[in-house]
Amino acid sequence: MDDDIIICRCQEVTKSQILKAIADGATTIDGVKKRTRAGMGLCQGKSCQRLVARIISEQTGKSMEEILPPTFRAPVRPVKIKILVDGDKDD
Amino acid sequence: MTEYDAIVIGGGVIGSSLTYYLSKLRKKVLLVEKTDLCSGSAGATDGYITPHTKKPGYHLEMALKSCELYETLAEDLESDINLELGLHCGGIQACEDEMQWELISRNAAELSKSGLELYMLDIEDARKIEPELSPRLRGALFSPIASSVNPMRLTQAYVDAAKKFGAKVLLHTEVQGLLFEGERVSGVSTPNGSFSSEYTVNCGGSWGGVIAKMAGLDLPIIPKRGQIIVSEPVAPMLNTVMQSGIYPIIKYKPELIQDERIFRLGLAFGIEQTKDGTLLIGGTRELAGFDRGNTFEAIEAVLKTVSRYIPAILHLNFIRCFSGLRPHTPDGLPILGKVKSVPGFVMCCGHEGDGIALAPITGKLVAEDLVYGEPSFPILPCATERFLTNREMGGG
Repeated sequence: MDDDIIICRCQEVTKSQILKAIADGATTIDGVKKRTRAGMGLCQGKSCQRLVARIISEQTGKSMEEILPPTFRAPVRPVKIKILVDGDKDD
Repeated sequence: MTEYDAIVIGGGVIGSSLTYYLSKLRKKVLLVEKTDLCSGSAGATDGYITPHTKKPGYHLEMALKSCELYETLAEDLESDINLELGLHCGGIQACEDEMQWELISRNAAELSKSGLELYMLDIEDARKIEPELSPRLRGALFSPIASSVNPMRLTQAYVDAAKKFGAKVLLHTEVQGLLFEGERVSGVSTPNGSFSSEYTVNCGGSWGGVIAKMAGLDLPIIPKRGQIIVSEPVAPMLNTVMQSGIYPIIKYKPELIQDERIFRLGLAFGIEQTKDGTLLIGGTRELAGFDRGNTFEAIEAVLKTVSRYIPAILHLNFIRCFSGLRPHTPDGLPILGKVKSVPGFVMCCGHEGDGIALAPITGKLVAEDLVYGEPSFPILPCATERFLTNREMGGG
């Protein structure tokens, strides 16, 4: 895989940026995320998470299972704020 | 011979700042972090630098000193710290009704005594600065000195710069106990070995109370949970960093709050737009122990509140929420400096929601305290001794 390839498409984070984050001490998906913003975009890591985990695995020798899954937070997909705010109104 | 001049416990924004300022003064520093940089509150917060939300007097003056350091910080660190809207975007405190307006006006008069320039604007004038404010509001306080920064970039930038000065950083290394030579704290023990130092500094943030216990100190640092909601990235829509008029009341006079839910959630709002375009919408101040989960009740309540002030958010999607712990102390001031009764042990935590705003000045002053014995701005009001019993202070 070319190091210039984009791993996180939402935030346009390249493989080389992810490698740099790992060299800096990141050993988890969250660690990479906080250094590079990979996984912080609209899809919240749905596309890049496994790729990031694989690169961490290759670099650190940790198995995919060992690499902690990132913290999952609501909502699972984007939700219009109005739906929450007006949720209890009958309209 | 000790290995280090100082060991800093905690790789959050405060520990990173202190590591930088100590290293810059040519001290040999080891930063020890239990998991990873920004794994606590520095990675779970918005990035307000808003002096007008501090307590009038000393606390505000400290924040203003910190703002002076922010002026050249990106240059000093040779790094982009992502000042989201620039260093002088200004801050708004929006008032929904006459009661908030009165309280904020009175507070503004107190704050201006320290030389902070503030304006109380009717809603028509406030909307000239921040057009997205609802016309139904009473008005707003405007402070030209206010901005926001990316807390994770800031922490990382401090650490990178400190490393250039020779600082050592040990991640994924939990401090399990302190080393003692008689009464004196002489270092830390970790699964990766013991390290000795002249000073051991507690930058544990919300976990600062746990580390203080290792030194035999019982300090009132209580985590308060702040929940924050992230919107999808959108085109620039906010010009300033904003909070609601109820924010200083939640922070400093919660006993004035009559609504049970607002009191329990510590429900105020703050909103900022990042360089990336996302809105960070806060927030709460809840007593929930060390639980960093999110609750539907809080998310719904925050969004309902904010939409009264900034109706445009109703049409945006939210993509995530997160929460972080704010290390609260009874008087709202951090706990800083050498602990007289425990030589070698230094406190540097308890900033509640002011960690980002006060990180530069905190690191600088505590570094000066350790290196010169006298900081360039007094930290006596933040002394540990204000919370110690006679016994802990070494008395009878």
